[in-house]
Amino acid sequence: MIDIFNIVLYGEITLWDVLVVVLVLILSLIIAKIVTLNLKKILSDKVKKDVLEIILRIVNYGIIIAAVLAVLPQLNIDLSGLLVAGGIAGLVIGFASQSVVANLVSGLFLMIERPIRIGDQISIEGVSGFVEDIHIFSTIIRTYDGVYIRIPNEKVFTSNITNYVANVARRFEYLIGIRYVDDANKAIEIIKKVIDAHPFALKNPSPTVFVDELGDNSVNIRVRIWAPSVVWYDVKMELLWKMKVELERNGIEIPFPQRVIWFGDKGGVKIESGEDISA
Amino acid sequence: MYGVYDYDFKFENEEITLGVEKKGGFLKYTRWLGNCKNDIVEKILASDAGKIIVNPVEPLNLPKEITNHLEIQFEPVVVEPNSFKKIYLKFPIEIGVFAATKKSIDVLDIFSLNNQKYSLYGPPDSGVICRWHKSDVFADIPKTDLLRDGVIELNIQNTSHEWVEVCRVVFESYGMKIYYGDSVSMVATIRIINRMVAETNFANKPIKDGMKKSLELYTARRIPVVERIGFLMEWGLK
Repeated sequence: MIDIFNIVLYGEITLWDVLVVVLVLILSLIIAKIVTLNLKKILSDKVKKDVLEIILRIVNYGIIIAAVLAVLPQLNIDLSGLLVAGGIAGLVIGFASQSVVANLVSGLFLMIERPIRIGDQISIEGVSGFVEDIHIFSTIIRTYDGVYIRIPNEKVFTSNITNYVANVARRFEYLIGIRYVDDANKAIEIIKKVIDAHPFALKNPSPTVFVDELGDNSVNIRVRIWAPSVVWYDVKMELLWKMKVELERNGIEIPFPQRVIWFGDKGGVKIESGEDISA
Repeated sequence: MYGVYDYDFKFENEEITLGVEKKGGFLKYTRWLGNCKNDIVEKILASDAGKIIVNPVEPLNLPKEITNHLEIQFEPVVVEPNSFKKIYLKFPIEIGVFAATKKSIDVLDIFSLNNQKYSLYGPPDSGVICRWHKSDVFADIPKTDLLRDGVIELNIQNTSHEWVEVCRVVFESYGMKIYYGDSVSMVATIRIINRMVAETNFANKPIKDGMKKSLELYTARRIPVVERIGFLMEWGLK
């Protein structure tokens, strides 16, 4: 039995040495799993989900890397030698796996810079949705219609990221057209009352409501409202209809597109040359 | 209305109807406001013995919990340098209903007779969303509707060497200590550091003797809280 363990595989490395290394690595994986599971249980209600994920990954990879470094001498691997060899190997691996390394590095920078967090609503290169997870190599997005999209971290890091909830509040706006015969001041007052009655239409910064343009078919009132980022879309959906209902209840209507045609005195169409065309 | 009740109880006035009764073999919690029986809240209690606790809670939960901060705006108070002044403000009340057994407490329902309004204190990128309330300023404890308004005793401490105008105060919910009796109360301090910066915190004491302490929501929800010094108002006092 002992003889089998003492079989030399290469140099001075015996089967026993390899077994020890494998056992230590397996043990480290088990320990990493147990530690991260327990950390997850303890910290899940104390730390934000995205921060927790980063902590768990650091602990997980930290334990595994520590174990690898600890067992390397067992295989007579000299780390200083590795540094020299690593330089050459690094070049080879670097060229062979450029995109993998780029994704890894981008992933690390994303975790440090944190332009996005798990749960944020974002848009990257035309992909919009919720950030489901940020892995080492890729970021997972769940689009608003529930589709899973994986974006390599290099692309995330080098693209323009729009984070809709990075700030605590955001503004949205409506353009509401009323008839020329309607009183715009009264309409503004009604709209302001509707906004004031909504809890999440923020008091400060205060909403702005003003006549923005005299359009072809209507007097256009611009409405700008700030809302907490976490509920802004709900507020946007609720308020417009409430404004429409309240305006109509007060006799102010939103006109259809219309064109005024003037007819001549004798029933003909008046044209620029002055000659009427008979009807 | 506030207090501790056995499971079989009912409270009813013109505005609030709530209680627990046995229905179809189950204990059922029921609550509605005014005549709005369309917005009735019903929950089955899967418990045989316990208590129902009704008390005012931190007013930061309705219509949806999105913040931990309460902002009270009031008419400007100009405070002289290195001075101390006590004023009273009103704050909105939300009423919490808890189911309690010997081992644990949980929130059954939160409701309010007030309308809610929210606001942003500070800039959009680094400020905080606050539940907003406008109050008059009182020199003595004002009379309040026990189910709608509470009273904050606000101790204004101007530690700066200049006159400072204050017309709003922002609190963080974790330190709120609400007491109830013939009124609902909190005692708070605003320590003015300069014209732009102040620190707010709560004292764990009632406005008058003989008041009972409310059960805090973060205690009932078992939310771990690191003891904080208070909230730093760094984006202005007016």
